[in-house]
Order: sequence, then structure tokens, then C-alpha cells
Amino acid sequence: MRLEIYQIVVPIVSAFFIWGLIGRFRRSKASLQEAVAGSLFWVAVAVFALFPDFFSRKLARLFGIKSNINAIIFFCLGLIFFFQYKLFFMIKKQQMALTELTRKIALEQSREKEAGQ
Amino acid sequence: MIPAYNEGPMIREVVTHVRSCGYGNIVVVDDGSRDNTRQQALEAGARVISHPINRGAGAASQTGILYARRQGFPYIIQLDADGQHHPEDMEALIAKMAEGRWDIVIGSRFIQMADGIPPTRIAYNRISNLLTNWFCHSSYSDSQSGFRMLNRRAIENLNLGLDGFGYCSEMIVVAERLGLSVGEAAIKVSYTEYSMSKGQDLHTGVNTAVNLIWKLIFHQTH
Repeated sequence: MRLEIYQIVVPIVSAFFIWGLIGRFRRSKASLQEAVAGSLFWVAVAVFALFPDFFSRKLARLFGIKSNINAIIFFCLGLIFFFQYKLFFMIKKQQMALTELTRKIALEQSREKEAGQ
Repeated sequence: MIPAYNEGPMIREVVTHVRSCGYGNIVVVDDGSRDNTRQQALEAGARVISHPINRGAGAASQTGILYARRQGFPYIIQLDADGQHHPEDMEALIAKMAEGRWDIVIGSRFIQMADGIPPTRIAYNRISNLLTNWFCHSSYSDSQSGFRMLNRRAIENLNLGLDGFGYCSEMIVVAERLGLSVGEAAIKVSYTEYSMSKGQDLHTGVNTAVNLIWKLIFHQTH
């Protein structure tokens, strides 16, 4: 089997992201569900890159599309989804932190007011 | 406990109505209102906890729960600030809670179908019930009701993470996971032009569903 450059690069990049997810899980920065879902996604991207013809034929039959550029499209889609996924979780975390801070201020102010009465 | 956001035109009436039913210990959680909600609530005789910025109905509700936890309240009853709930129905929730089987009692508009509920709200609630009940062991007739009673066990254990309206469903699902029992009591509601301008529309409904699914699937709830 002759490997194209992208068939080497994409699995390496996928492995890099999976390694990052495992690290985040071990540092308790990601839940088990997040780590498993993210890892499965990147494994799928790597497998797609390794066997593009097989999957493109399957996908072509399923969706009615097929071309040699599929692998690049998969890679780009993978990147876009990853950054979307990352941004979504970052925003959620920021929102949770903001709510926590807002709540602490509100409760602290009510405590001070009641202590002053 | 009344979470409120920009309810200046109605909050005084709601607080006064609750007081007239004999409940004097009223806490309004002002969720960063830009109008005179805070002032109106204070003048009506409520205690007011103010979020410096708007964080959503769920965030305000959890702030109220934490306040009740800190104050050692044995029970809290939460109702909406838009005047759709009838404070007289608190008796029904209290009676249900008095059975001793429930940690949370939800005021349900659909046990005995309340009059005057707009068809869009009925449809929205049916979809929400399907989604909520899918994550639950029991089946609930009004998962989106903001009229609820919590006992001390619920106050001590509930820590909700959703800021928006999804907290209604989240509270039920989290309660079940914590082993809290959730019952329902029939209530009436009055929908007015004002109350219809509040609450959820299609856009916020979709956001609520997405946030709820994200929360329940990807995060441990406790």
C-alpha cells in the first residue's frame, strides 16, 4: 500500500489531538465523556485518511458524491469541527465562570447587607 | 423565591399578591434587570438579591437555592415573576409536599388542563416533556413549569449548571439522579399579553434543548 503524505500527516495530527485529550482528562480538565467522544472523532478522521478510497466509495454510495479531493475535504472538515468543538467548550466554560462570579458577588452583597441591618 | 429579569411592570403586583396569601418571607432574585425591578420588589416588601449582570433564569434560580441553603430555609417555593402563576396554588404544592413522599413538587398546568394556555405553549411543552422524560425514569406532565416547591433535602443537594430555561428540565433529571423524589400538583395559570412576551420563543427553545442535551450527555450532573 503506497501512502500519500496526507495519509501520514493526518493520523499523526489525530494522534496528537487524542494525546492532548487524554492529557486534559488526566488533568481533570475534560470529562470522561468529552475525552471518549473527542478521541473517537479523531480516530475516525485518521481511519478516513488511511483508507480514503474505501470510505469515499461507501460515502459516495450513501450521499452520491465522490472525488479524489475527498481526503482533503475530510481533513479540512475535521479541523473545522475540532475548532468549533473547542470554541464551544471554551465559551461554555467562560459562561459558567461568569455565572459563578456573578452569583458570588450577589450572595456576598446580600450577606453584607443583612449583616449591616 | 421569585427569579426576575426586567419585570418592573409586574413584580410589585406579584410580590404583593404572594404577601396577601400570607407568605411574608419573599426573596426576589433580580437577574441583572435594566429596569426598576429591584426597586419595585423592595418597595413591595421583598428581600432582593441582585445579580450584577444578566445570567439567565436558571442561574437566578440556583442563586435563590444557594441563598435558601445559606439561610437554612426548610422549604422554598419558586414562582414566575410575570404574573402567570396564582400564589393561591402554593397551598396545593404545600399539601402535596405534606404527603411526605416528595422532595420537589412541581406545579403542573397539565394534570388538569388549565384554561387559556395558548396552543403554541402546549406544543412547546409537549416537545420539552418528551425530551425531559427521555432522560428520566418517571414521566412528568409539565417539565417546564417554573412553579416549584423544594424541601431542605433538595435545597441542600441541587446544584444546577444551566443558566437558561433548560434548568427546569435539568432540575428534574438531576433530582432523579440524586435520588430525590419529584411529584406534581395541579395549578392554574393566567396567560396575558405581558406574560406571553416573556418566557421562551422558538429561538430560545431550540437553544434550551441544545444546551440541555449538551449538559446531560457531556457533563456529570450532581
